[in-house]
Amino acid sequence: MTILSKTFTVLGSILLAHACYSAREHTTLQSPRATAAAGSVSLPVDIIIETIVSTVIIITGLVLGTKPLRPLEWRVWAGKIEREGAEGFTDNSGKVDRDFMGNPFSVLESRPNFVDIRKQRREFAEWLRQKDKVLQGQ
Amino acid sequence: MAPSVLYPPVQLSPAASLELAQTAPAVLKSSPSSVSSSPLFSLVGGSEKSEQWIQYENLILTCLRTGDDQSARECLERLVSRFGADNERVQALDGLVKEATAKNNGELEEVLKEYDQILSENDTNIPIAKRRIALLRSMGRASDAASALVQLLDFSPTDAEAWSELSDIYLSQGLYPQAIYAIEEVLVLAPNAWNIHARLGELQYMAATASGGAANGSYQKYMAEAIKRFSRSIELCDDYLRGYYGLKLVSKALLNGDGAKTSKQTEEGDFALPDRSTLEKLHELATAKLAEIVRRAAAKERGWRGYSEAETAAARELLAQDTAAVQR
Repeated sequence: MTILSKTFTVLGSILLAHACYSAREHTTLQSPRATAAAGSVSLPVDIIIETIVSTVIIITGLVLGTKPLRPLEWRVWAGKIEREGAEGFTDNSGKVDRDFMGNPFSVLESRPNFVDIRKQRREFAEWLRQKDKVLQGQ
Repeated sequence: MAPSVLYPPVQLSPAASLELAQTAPAVLKSSPSSVSSSPLFSLVGGSEKSEQWIQYENLILTCLRTGDDQSARECLERLVSRFGADNERVQALDGLVKEATAKNNGELEEVLKEYDQILSENDTNIPIAKRRIALLRSMGRASDAASALVQLLDFSPTDAEAWSELSDIYLSQGLYPQAIYAIEEVLVLAPNAWNIHARLGELQYMAATASGGAANGSYQKYMAEAIKRFSRSIELCDDYLRGYYGLKLVSKALLNGDGAKTSKQTEEGDFALPDRSTLEKLHELATAKLAEIVRRAAAKERGWRGYSEAETAAARELLAQDTAAVQR
């Protein structure tokens, strides 16, 4: 959650708590008179307005704090993976989502169960040798 | 982004896998060396995380690749102590370590015999069957690997990974129609896989160029299929560099050659080549899109940093060929 959304939510909560408290105080103070007048007491308009406004503020704060929504359409979602990579799937604090895995179909091309480990080792050793050569050349 | 130990490390670059392998001792140190599977233990100790086992599995692959056999063995020991030595997946990993550390062909034959032994006891052990096929291929016996793979697919026809491997083996032997058939089977199992659509397009294009030029009748059929497949991959994935690259390559080849003019109606059910104006439009679209992708990826604009360097470089080269032709 960003600071903005936190501020909104806290402010809204304080206002809502205040509205609740006011409503309670109002009914406590007014109940003897109301029983005397034999009718129900409606809350004053300012308390009602405060309740509604505070609820709206809380909702705004929570909505601001949600993660960006994920694309619904397949091609948009797939395009996002290709175009942005892991960067496109972060939460507000910049951490990559736990369930992000890139293109889920890339295993069909990398095929980890059929990996030719000896070839990979050879290639890696070759790469190391090249790198050493470059380093020695400098 | 730093590579994570939670994804299969097969496609990593050597530098990235070295970086990852160097984290192995720290990972091994930070996690408990033995986790009991008894329910009592999980009450007393912390709950075990499933990611940890994936982590070990991927670390074995990376460490073997970078030659850190010690860490790989240690990871394997932990997997064995948790899942037992007769777990199919652990057996496959064990075989992988033996393959990687085998010094000569004799030792490899030993490993192969061991696989055969395991399979004779239980021939539905798919991880071991896959390792056996991979080892056969690695030892240069590709046709043996292909026939073993066909047998495996006979009793497990919904294994998309195996179909994809079969296609790759056929391709390495130059058997294009078979390779195309196998990759089509993958598409039946994963119809939304945009990279497989692009792969099929690439195979069709390779088959077309190998068929011997525009004079050959199958050339047009393959090219038409390739266009269709690349278009589908773009349809499934916005701004897909690989798809646009292929589309541009194929449409350019058709526009330059006389393939487009002699577009006669092929057999019924076949996809006829689109007419020249459509091809030109496709070519234009692919060029514009590629140029945009290359420009924005080179500028490292926000939201365009997911492309690999090699891919954008290749696209830039393809575009450069175009401008060179215009200047001449």
